[in-house]
Amino acid sequence: MSLLQHARTCLANQVANKSYNAFISRATEEQLLRVVPDGENASTQRPLEGKLIAIKDNICTTDFPTTAASRILHEFPSPYDATVVSKLRDAGGVVAGKTNLDEFGMGSHSIHSHVGPVSQPSSMEHGEGQLSVGGSSGGSALAVATDQCWASLGTDTGGSVRLPAAYTGVYGFKPSYGLLSRWGVLAYANSLDTVGILAKDVDSVKSLFHAVNGYDKKDPTSLAESSRRRITELVEQRKRSGRYRIGVPKEYNTSGIDPKIKSAWRATLKALQSKGHSIHPVSLPATKLALPAYYVLAPAEAASNLAKYDGVRYGTRSSGPDTSGGVLFSQTRSEGFGDEVKRRILLGNYSLSAEAIDNYFIQAQKVRRLVQRDFDGVFSLRNSLVDEGGDGEGEGERVDALLVPTAPTLPPLVKDVKRQDPVAAYMNDVFTVPTSLAGLPAISVPVKTDHGAARSQIGMQIISQYGDDELVLEIAQCLSES
Amino acid sequence: MFGGLITPHAQSGKLSTSATEVEVHAELNTAKKLFSEAATSVNEPPNSHVALFDLAFPGTQPHFQGATLIPAIRAAIAFNCQIQRSSTFDRKHYFYQDQPAGYQITQYYEPFAKDGHIVLYPHDGIAPEDGNSVTVGIKQIQMEQDTAKTILQGNDTYLLDFNRVSHPLIEIITLPQIHSPATAAACVRKIQSILESINALNAGMELGGMRADVNVSIRKRGTEVDSGTGHQYHGVSGLGQRTEIKNLSSFKAVEDSIIAERNRQIQILESGGVIEGETRGWTIGGTETRSLRGKEGEIDYRYMPDPDIAPVIIGEDLVEHIHATMPLLPDDAFSLLTLKTPYGLSIKDAKTVHNLDEGERLDYYMEVVQTLESELSDSERASMPYGRTAGNWLLHELGGLFSQSEEPWDASRVRPDTLASVILNVLRKRVTGKTAKQLLANLFHGDSRTAEEIIEQDNLAVKPMSDEEYHAMVKTVLDNNQDTVRVILRDPQAGKSKVMWLVGQMIRGAEEGRVDAQKAAGIVREQLNIP
Repeated sequence: MSLLQHARTCLANQVANKSYNAFISRATEEQLLRVVPDGENASTQRPLEGKLIAIKDNICTTDFPTTAASRILHEFPSPYDATVVSKLRDAGGVVAGKTNLDEFGMGSHSIHSHVGPVSQPSSMEHGEGQLSVGGSSGGSALAVATDQCWASLGTDTGGSVRLPAAYTGVYGFKPSYGLLSRWGVLAYANSLDTVGILAKDVDSVKSLFHAVNGYDKKDPTSLAESSRRRITELVEQRKRSGRYRIGVPKEYNTSGIDPKIKSAWRATLKALQSKGHSIHPVSLPATKLALPAYYVLAPAEAASNLAKYDGVRYGTRSSGPDTSGGVLFSQTRSEGFGDEVKRRILLGNYSLSAEAIDNYFIQAQKVRRLVQRDFDGVFSLRNSLVDEGGDGEGEGERVDALLVPTAPTLPPLVKDVKRQDPVAAYMNDVFTVPTSLAGLPAISVPVKTDHGAARSQIGMQIISQYGDDELVLEIAQCLSES
Repeated sequence: MFGGLITPHAQSGKLSTSATEVEVHAELNTAKKLFSEAATSVNEPPNSHVALFDLAFPGTQPHFQGATLIPAIRAAIAFNCQIQRSSTFDRKHYFYQDQPAGYQITQYYEPFAKDGHIVLYPHDGIAPEDGNSVTVGIKQIQMEQDTAKTILQGNDTYLLDFNRVSHPLIEIITLPQIHSPATAAACVRKIQSILESINALNAGMELGGMRADVNVSIRKRGTEVDSGTGHQYHGVSGLGQRTEIKNLSSFKAVEDSIIAERNRQIQILESGGVIEGETRGWTIGGTETRSLRGKEGEIDYRYMPDPDIAPVIIGEDLVEHIHATMPLLPDDAFSLLTLKTPYGLSIKDAKTVHNLDEGERLDYYMEVVQTLESELSDSERASMPYGRTAGNWLLHELGGLFSQSEEPWDASRVRPDTLASVILNVLRKRVTGKTAKQLLANLFHGDSRTAEEIIEQDNLAVKPMSDEEYHAMVKTVLDNNQDTVRVILRDPQAGKSKVMWLVGQMIRGAEEGRVDAQKAAGIVREQLNIP
C-alpha cells in the first residue's frame, strides 16, 4: 500500500471510530494529504517518511493544543515541540493528531478525561457494554489497534503504555528510563515517566524507537552518550547463543490472576521453550511492596509537578479573583482538575507532609531501591547504573529476561470500572509498576488465545536489565513469530 | 524585672538574654539564571529575560547552570564553611503569584556548604557588651531560586515581572548565637560587605539585592545554654520559644525589629504569658512587630528532592582554584590598611575606603598607592607617609569633590595615575597643598591636560628660594624680633622652641610653600651661632 493510500485508510478509520474517543484533536484530511508523499516512488530515505503517528496529548506539539485531557489546559498551545516529536518529524513522521488519556496520565482505563472516556467495543464473551482500553495511554493504543494511525507515542509512568497495549492487543514498549527525552513531556511523576511506543508489529516499534531514541541535553535525566556507549559495550560482551534464559518470578503467580491469563502465560512459556529457550523460576521478594510504594511516590511527585497549574501564566483560569475561596488559586485548581487528579494531589501532599514523610515517602524510596536490587539479582547482565559489586544479592540462577503477564485480568467493562473503588483500580498496575520503579525496559506483546476472539486482549510482558532494550525487542520478535 | 536584658554578666536569675539567628538571602552576581540559559538582569524591561522553564511551562525541565557555583563557593570560603562534595536540590512548596512552579527549588536536605563562621569586631559595629569580638557560627549556606517581582496595581491586581524569577540566591543561616540587636545588624552588614568584597553580590540591601529574616528568642538567665532545657535550634539548646521576623530590607530594620520583638517577648514573659512560635512582620519605621501567621497557619512546605536535578558534585580542584584566586576579604583588607606599611590608614579611613562603592574605592586606592610606590625613590619611600597621604587625598579631597557636585563615584573621572601624580607633586613639595587642591579640582571638572602639563603651563610649581633669599629673610626676621633673639642667646637649649617660632614667622610672611622649615631653622642657628 502506498503511503497516501495508507493515510486515506487511517483517515477513514478515524471517522469510523470517532465515537470511541481515541483522539482529542486530529489533523484534517487536507493537512495530512498535503504532507504525506504521493505515489509509490515517494522518497523512503527517511525511516518514518509519510507515516502517520499519533501523539498522546501530554506530549507537547506546536500544531495542536496540548491539553493532557485536563480542563486546566483546555486548548493550551505549546510554543514548542517535545524532543521526541521533533525527532520523529525529522525522520519524516507525520503527526496525525493528539490522543486521549487519563488526565495528566493518572489512571488505568483512560476514563478520567476532560473530553470523555476512551473505550472499545466489547466482544461477545465480555457481555454487554463498552470495554476498557486500559490507561493512561488508551487513546494512543486504540488508535493503533483500529488502524487510525501507523503507530503512536504514549507515556508510561507505572504501566500506562503496556496496560492499554495489552487491553487493545497491540505492542506497547516502555524503553529504559532516560533513553527517550522527556523535554516537552508533561510531568506526572518525573522519576518514573517514560515515553513509550505503541504499534502493530515489532518492526514498527523498532523503527519508531530508533528514530526518537538519543541523548538530549534539554532533558537533565537523559542518559549521557558515555553511559549509552558503556551499555552497548556491556551488551556486546555477552556471549550470544540465540537461546535465551527466561525467568518466571514466583511472586507474580498470584491467585488474583484470571485463569485465561494464566493459561496464556503458560502457553507463551511453552512456545518459547519449544524454540529452544529455557525457562527458570526466579524470586523477586520485594514485588508485593512495589505497588504501595508506587502509589506513594507517583502521587507525591504529581502533587509537586501539578502545583504549577494556577491559571496565571497559561491555561484555564477561574473567572473570579485568584483569592476567592480563601485559598490562593483554589477556585482555578478546583474547577480545572478532575477527581482522580485531585485524589492523587491530596494523597501526594499528605505523604510529603512533615508528619507523614518519614513513614511514607522515605520508606517508599527505600522500597524502590529494594525492587531494583531484586531485579539486579536475577539478570545475568550487570546494571550499568550500579557500581560493580552492588549487583544485587540473588543467589539463584541468572536470566536474560523475565516473562510475566502485563495485567492480571482481561479488559473490564467501562461501566464496572466506573463503579470501582479507586484503590481497587490501582491493582491493575501490579505487574507493570515494579519495572517502572526500577526504570527497566519492558514490552507488552499481544498473545494469541484459544478462545478465538477477534482480537487478542491478553498481553505478556518481557522485561530485561536496564539498557537491554534491544533484547526485549528481539524476544518480542521471536514471540510474534510463534 | 527583665531590665539589662542583654548584659552578659547580669547577676539576677530573673534577667533575660536574647538569642538571634539571622537568615540572609543574597542575589548572586551571575550571568545566567540558576536553571535556565536566560540572562540575569536588574533594570531591564519587564519579562524580557525569561526562559520557558522560568515560567514553569508544561514539559520544561531545569538545567543547572554550573557557573552559578563560582560566586557561591567564594562565599562559602569567605564564611569558613565546609564545602560539600555532593549537594542536592529540593522543592519547597507554597502557592504564590511570584512563584510560577508552585515551589521554590532550594537546598534543604543537603546544602552545598555547612559549618562556617563569621567574626565580628568593634569596628564592624557590634554592641559594646560583646567585647573585642563575637564569633557567630554559620549553620549552612544553600543555593536557591529567587521569585518574580510583583507590583500591586490598585487594590486587587498584581503586575508580574518574571525577570527576577530563578535568579540564583544564596541563603546564609547563622546559629542563634547573637545576643544583641546591634550585633545582629552588624552581622548582616558584614555579610553584605564580605559578599561585595568577593564580587558575589548582585546588589546590596539598599537596592533590594539582599534580604534578611531573623529568629528571636528570650531566655531567662540561670537557664544556661546547653543545659538541656528549653528549646533547641540547630543544635543550640536551652533557648526560649522563638519567633521569626521575615523579609527585613535594611540593616536598621534588622536592629529595630529585634529590639521591638525582644521587648514584646519580655513583656509577655513578665506578665506570666507564653511566647507562641509564629511568623511576624516588620514595617520600616514601625515600633512593633506584627503577627503574620500563627503556628496553626504555618505552611508545611512538603520538601521533596527534585527528581529532575542530579546531585551537584563540587571537585576539590575547583575549590582550590577558587581559593587561590579569592579577592581580599574585609578583615584582611582592614588589617592591611591600618597596620601594614605603606598604608597606615586610620581605622575610620580604612573603613571608609573599604566600604565605599562595593570595593571600587579600595581597588582605586590600591592602584594609587602602587603608582606612588613605583614613582618614589627608595629614600622617599622610607621617609614619606605616602599611603596615608593617598588615603587623605582619595577620601577627603577627591571624595569631597564628588559630594560637592552631588555626583556618584566614578573611578574614571580622575584616574588613579592622575591622582597619584598630583599626590607625588605634593609629597615632593613641588606644589603647595592649596595649589594641588585647585589642580585636582580642575582635573575633576574636565581639564584634559595632565597634572604635569597644568603645573607647567599654569606656572603652579613652587619656586624654591635661593640661599641668598633665605639669608636675607632670616636676617630681616632676626632684626625684627631682637627680644626673642636675646632670650634664645641667653639659653640656647631652652630657646629651641623660640627658634621654631621665628621660622613660623618666616613661613607666614613668605609665599606659601616656599619656606622649608628645616632649612630656615638651620640658617637661623647658623646666623646666631648656636648648635
